Amino acid sequence: MPRDKGAGSLDVVIAVMACLAALALGASLIAERAAVSWNTGLAGRITVQILPPEKSSMPLVQQVKAALSVLRDTPGIAHAAQLSDQETVELVRPWLGADALVSELPLPRLIDATIAPGTPVDLESIRQRLKAAAPDSVLDDHTRWLSRLRAVAQGIIWSAYGVLALIALATASTVSFATRAGLEAHHDIVELLHQMGAKAGFIARAFEWHYFLAALIAGAIGAALAAAFYVASSGLEFAGIEAVPFLPPLGLHLSELGWLTTVPVAASWIALITARLSVLAALRRIY
Amino acid sequence: MVRFENVGMRYGPGPEVLRDVTFLLEPGSFNFLTGPSGAGKSTLLKLMYLAEPPSRGLIGLFGQDLATTRRSQFPALRRRIGVVFQDFRLLAHLSAFENVALPLRIAGHDAAVYRHDVEELLSWVGLGGRLDARPATLSGGEQQRVAIARAVVARPDLLLADEPTGNVDPDMGKRLIRLFEELNKLGTTVLIATHDRTLIESARAREMRLVDGRLVELRGPR
Repeated sequence: MPRDKGAGSLDVVIAVMACLAALALGASLIAERAAVSWNTGLAGRITVQILPPEKSSMPLVQQVKAALSVLRDTPGIAHAAQLSDQETVELVRPWLGADALVSELPLPRLIDATIAPGTPVDLESIRQRLKAAAPDSVLDDHTRWLSRLRAVAQGIIWSAYGVLALIALATASTVSFATRAGLEAHHDIVELLHQMGAKAGFIARAFEWHYFLAALIAGAIGAALAAAFYVASSGLEFAGIEAVPFLPPLGLHLSELGWLTTVPVAASWIALITARLSVLAALRRIY
Repeated sequence: MVRFENVGMRYGPGPEVLRDVTFLLEPGSFNFLTGPSGAGKSTLLKLMYLAEPPSRGLIGLFGQDLATTRRSQFPALRRRIGVVFQDFRLLAHLSAFENVALPLRIAGHDAAVYRHDVEELLSWVGLGGRLDARPATLSGGEQQRVAIARAVVARPDLLLADEPTGNVDPDMGKRLIRLFEELNKLGTTVLIATHDRTLIESARAREMRLVDGRLVELRGPR
């Protein structure tokens, strides 16, 4: 097949659309990974805060010990440990900074506990026993936080899917338009082959692989640009430039980068199918 | 081989280009179609090589009535017809060799089998040294010879040629007519639309003349 007039700019359009589609696909993968990590990171864990005593006269250290012993004696609690002062300061650092003053703040003591997987635990009973042993304790099973996070994550995932669907639709339309425009320029070839007795399948094959390959190359260039962006984002993290707290890192894992190859493959098949349908439609119009 | 009965042809709402055209081309016959420009020669050829349906009348091709032939059978009928178009219609992105081999590729032949035949045919029309040349690099006469080679390479049952010697010198014209005659001896029915009186006289074949869309037979079948 000869190269279409204006094929260069159409290739650029396909490459750009493929790049956007790959970026949207990457974003949806990141959002999904974030939702899963938030879920698995907090599910099955409980946190006990021992607030600096106000109401009770029981010393903080003693309350921590009592709370730890309640947790460790509870069946189903696999692990319970107090966070060191340093770890507690680290937790508030993204919000309050690493100022020396922070260590002087009356921060609560934190106990991180893990529930053994598949074990039913009566959180209300634990809460009551903790209150009895350590009056200033507050049990947080992250349910509220987790459900909000899940809602946010689901929202992000569905938004990403929506954007992905829109860009996929635009890419499909662009590829389809480019293919039809190219075929229009080759109408004389279609007509001649038809005149010489070529069957519709033969004529369609002569065109469809040409457009398949063109879309595959343009799509691959676009997807490669998107992949380069995500690899560069991973590189920034390796270089020590930290991501925003709680937000997932922008880079993609190697297995996730593999998903980006679906973009040029999809683009090329759209081109092939459009080319075939366009040729068959053109042939129906000829005697 | 080809049978026209009261065939009329008009494009859209325009006047009839062909009127009540009736004739028969016997299998293995050699025929000329003459007439002034605009008389309808190219339209008549188009009807014969199945580029257009007639507006009225009956056309029979290879013993089949086209009005009752399924469209899915048309490609097979078209493959039995070789056409030399007046404007050559060579594919610009293919070499002379590839252009000539096109009917054989369409028929599903293997390149290894037809390579020698195509090269020999191109040598016969004086283009043995230009197998890989693209049409844009060939002169008008050379393009015409490629178009003729393409039309005859598959040894069609019916050969239709629209002004096939219009761009070549008289010697090459005679040589090409000999090619058509050789093909005709092998059983191909030939119809050549031309203005070239020398060509018509040299071949001494049947001549049909179109005047204002009507067919007049000037000289019967030889």
